[in-house]
Amino acid sequence: MNLMTNASFATALIVLFTSAGGAHAQIVSPGAANRPAIAKTEAVTFLFPEHVTVPAGKPSQVALHFRVGHGLHINSHTPSDEYLIPTDFSIPDGVGVRLAAASYPAGTIISLPFDPKTTLSVYTGEFIIQARILATPGNHPLQAKLHYQACDQNQCLPPKTIIVPIDVIAK
Amino acid sequence: MRRNTLVLFAVLVILATFAWAGWANWQYRRQTAEKQTVMGELVAVPGGTPQYISPLDGKPAPAFALKDISGTKVSLASYRGKAVLVNFWATWCTPCKIETPWLVELRNKYAAQGFEILGVDTEAEDLKPDDTAGWAKDKAAIDKFVAEEKVDYPMLLDGDSISDAYGGLDSLPASFFVDRNGKVVAASVGLTSEGDIESNIKKALNQ
Repeated sequence: MNLMTNASFATALIVLFTSAGGAHAQIVSPGAANRPAIAKTEAVTFLFPEHVTVPAGKPSQVALHFRVGHGLHINSHTPSDEYLIPTDFSIPDGVGVRLAAASYPAGTIISLPFDPKTTLSVYTGEFIIQARILATPGNHPLQAKLHYQACDQNQCLPPKTIIVPIDVIAK
Repeated sequence: MRRNTLVLFAVLVILATFAWAGWANWQYRRQTAEKQTVMGELVAVPGGTPQYISPLDGKPAPAFALKDISGTKVSLASYRGKAVLVNFWATWCTPCKIETPWLVELRNKYAAQGFEILGVDTEAEDLKPDDTAGWAKDKAAIDKFVAEEKVDYPMLLDGDSISDAYGGLDSLPASFFVDRNGKVVAASVGLTSEGDIESNIKKALNQ
């Protein structure tokens, strides 16, 4: 009887712990559904590479692939208007990897239906930034940055900076 | 006896944890629902542009007092008795610039009937209050734009400080049409058309 009681208590404890754990998981889950339509999509996604191996101390070219969300565009690195925010790739100082230069693709020229006379230089779909980097010997879990500002045909999202995570192994 | 007490204590602790988790979960859901309520949503219209349904519709427009480009503090309350279009925009927002000439034209057309526009610059660049260079750069861009577009209505700065009250403003342009009693009668997010803006102005003027 005692054994039965203890087993029941143990089962009850497991069930309670599991239920409480489940409830907690709901508490911390992100609520992405509460943003208006355009903001629900991540405007730009970093695709690859996740890892690169480069010779230490020598400039190396790395092709960084990004994708702009469907129906959106971001300004190119050289926008058509001085007010517009250019797409810009950067590497923070003091992380063992330095950005010597970055080469951006030319933008596609588009115009908006409401104002066909105004043209914009933008990136849509996939685009590649060629980064020339210099790394000190060792493994560097790099957190580079891409700054951009996205719009669709009728509205614009605020400027944003996303992290571009790349493991740089310099030998 | 001692073992039973311990087990009972453990069960009570777990029940308390369970109760706390339930309460925290309820709080989280309540906060999420409140946030959804304040942000509004785009509702699909068959065969047409999605319509922005603002939770501020029919409610008093959130009060604010912001400096204009000349440094004078301007409050929404001081326009009570007039119909007001609160237009959030940014220098980097091309659709905002497309609608600006329409706004200038409509403001001139309806000013005599007691209509005013308050342009609210909302750069969202996370400028810190002590970033004088950043603010100066922003202001220079706004000044230039105002001069180029011949904007003759008040242009207010630091819209980011009031954006939460107006639903978070995740995208621009965003317009709120306020009637003579200070109540929001229409709202739009994104570029619509000059005709849509005019019909909302008439609504605010109660025509």
